[in-house]
Amino acid sequence: MARSSRRGRGKKKNSTQLIMGGLCLLVVLLAGMLFFKPSARSGTEPQPFNIAQYRQDGSRFASTGNRYILEGKVESIESHGGNRMVSVSMRNNRNERLPLLVLEMNPQPINITRGDTFIFDVSCRTGRSADGNEVKGILVVNEVKAK
Amino acid sequence: MPSSFDASGRSTQTQSGVENNDPNRVGETPPPQMFGMELPLLDPSNDTMSYGGAKFDIGNNAVVRERFEKFLSQTPDNTEQSRVYRKNIEAILKYTQKYTKGANRIGSKALVSIGMGLYEASSYPGDGGQAGALASAIVSALDVQRANRRRDEANAELDQEIDKLIKKTNTLTNRNTQKGVRSDKHAAGAGTSGGVSHTFQIAANTSKIAEKKTKQGANEAASQASLPIAKVNYQSVLVGFLLQRRYDHAVIGARVYRHVFRDGNTRVDLDKNSDAYKMFTGISGMPPTITTIDTMASNARREVDQSIDAVHGALAQNKLGEATNRLITAVAVGEYMQSVATFPAKDRLRIADYWNLRKQSLSALNARDYDKVEEIAQEMKKMDVAFDDSLLMSYTAGKKRQSDFALRAARKALAEGKDEEFKKHATEAAIIWPRNPNLQKGEEEIARLDSFEPQKAEFRVLYDRKDFRTIYKERERFKVVATDPQLEKKYMESIELIARIDAMLAELKSVALQDRTMGPCAAYEKLYEMKADERYSTDMKFLDEFHRYESEANNFVMALRDAEDCRSRREYGSALAGYYRARCFYPHSKLAKKGIEEVTKVIVEATY
Repeated sequence: MARSSRRGRGKKKNSTQLIMGGLCLLVVLLAGMLFFKPSARSGTEPQPFNIAQYRQDGSRFASTGNRYILEGKVESIESHGGNRMVSVSMRNNRNERLPLLVLEMNPQPINITRGDTFIFDVSCRTGRSADGNEVKGILVVNEVKAK
Repeated sequence: MPSSFDASGRSTQTQSGVENNDPNRVGETPPPQMFGMELPLLDPSNDTMSYGGAKFDIGNNAVVRERFEKFLSQTPDNTEQSRVYRKNIEAILKYTQKYTKGANRIGSKALVSIGMGLYEASSYPGDGGQAGALASAIVSALDVQRANRRRDEANAELDQEIDKLIKKTNTLTNRNTQKGVRSDKHAAGAGTSGGVSHTFQIAANTSKIAEKKTKQGANEAASQASLPIAKVNYQSVLVGFLLQRRYDHAVIGARVYRHVFRDGNTRVDLDKNSDAYKMFTGISGMPPTITTIDTMASNARREVDQSIDAVHGALAQNKLGEATNRLITAVAVGEYMQSVATFPAKDRLRIADYWNLRKQSLSALNARDYDKVEEIAQEMKKMDVAFDDSLLMSYTAGKKRQSDFALRAARKALAEGKDEEFKKHATEAAIIWPRNPNLQKGEEEIARLDSFEPQKAEFRVLYDRKDFRTIYKERERFKVVATDPQLEKKYMESIELIARIDAMLAELKSVALQDRTMGPCAAYEKLYEMKADERYSTDMKFLDEFHRYESEANNFVMALRDAEDCRSRREYGSALAGYYRARCFYPHSKLAKKGIEEVTKVIVEATY
């Protein structure tokens, strides 16, 4: 009787441990899904873009290699050699400017002009400076479409 | 500067008061005295008296001053006895005056009368026995003349006796000759007794004639010897009168001379090497005569009387300075003249007051008490309408300024901490003007500077702590540290810094109030730039304002900080976005612009 009760208590203990382990696994999986939500989808598909998050930690966007579709008005264009740095304002947030790099090696079919609104297909990348240091979280324009 | 106002205390004259301008006279012993044995020759054009080739400033000569002060302190000689004396002298002068013209001659009785009058005058103590001396000289000369006359008379009698003896002798000689012829005729019996007796008588007469001629010669020799002695005696008395400024006596004696010595020779026999001889020849260039003495004494009398008239005239016009100078001249030249001796007491007092002021001014100048000199000069100007104080005033003003300049240099040296230089200039200032009131101020200032040491120490602590705000708040109290040039620089630096901060904060406040959105951003950015300077960042008010604007421009500030943070992590994309965001809040932001340019350059130059 005593042995059976001890055995009963041991079974009960094992099952509880299994349940707890399962729950932990589930929590970890959910957390991972939530954290890697943009990358959970296909890398070729455009993802929604959170500017506030980008301003805090842009390289996080680069690590997944996701592409983003952004609509914005060109506020300024600065040329350095063949590359151009374009700042665009988002339609729903006028207090933000998003810096987009248009590389010379990736010519665009349309002319990007200041004051016009375009749809940018961008991806976040990490570059290398001349002295070999990382240049993190740069939004590089893949394609531009006129709106 | 004239010697009379030589404040340095050094006189341009020698101790005796004789100016030694003649290079040939260098090292020569000055004459031992001035009055009594030599005649002062006045040059009224410059108030100087000549003596022995040198000149005296009669207004600045110790002997003249002493006698003049003695004269001023004396009461006028107006006693009955003095009046009688002067009346006697005046009468004798008038009596002799009438015999100076024409061929009138004074007889022995008249001369005796003059002598009696002089003897009577000599009983007056003020005469000093001079009239008696003249009377004695006259009497002596007359005695000599009488003796000579007696000798002349005796010689005349001797002549007569000699003539008689010669006649008698001739008669006897003739008789002897006649007897000789007869005896040749009656050679044997007549005898020789009568012839012998005539021969002895002739010899006796001849001897008597020789004796009488010897007597005559002795008388003539005595007369010839006594006359020059009498003349020298008389002339020496006259020269003595002239030198002692007894002009009345000199005039009387000179006028009587030619009646006493009637030989027509009036030359004064003086040793050519004597000072008296040089004095006479120095004036006229001619050998001295009795007439020269008469002329000089008469001129001196006139000069003195004119000076006294001028004194009265100047006093009537309240020209005390001129009156004093003229009176000094009169006293120096003719102290014993009646016009000087009877000069009124009240006028003496007026001049004495003025003279004392003049002396005080000299003393004050010698003591370099220039305030006192100016005070006296003003007083003298009140007393004397013609007093010209410009010389004194400009002199004292110059000295005062010189002292002040030295004092200023001393202060400068003190401020620069140059103690030796300070002592040198301060001493110089004190020597030039010992009673300079600024010297006292200087001492007070030094004491005051010493009392500033606690403030200086406190200031140094605050400055080292960079607590400029406290220095600024108590700037009035710390102003005293400016006496130290190094601290002054720090003081000014502190005051200007805080003043600049306050002015800037006030301006930023105005900007922030005008634009409540971007104003705080602009203010923050301005203060942020300045904060790099430690002088600003240590000021609490600055920091308070900085933090206030930091809070008010929170979005802008946070955007910049995030951008800087990302940049430090090489998150250049995020950093650039942050700078853009900051510029959205404040488009004129220099910080954002600078960040954008720098980060953009890094991004576009990188490879992807």
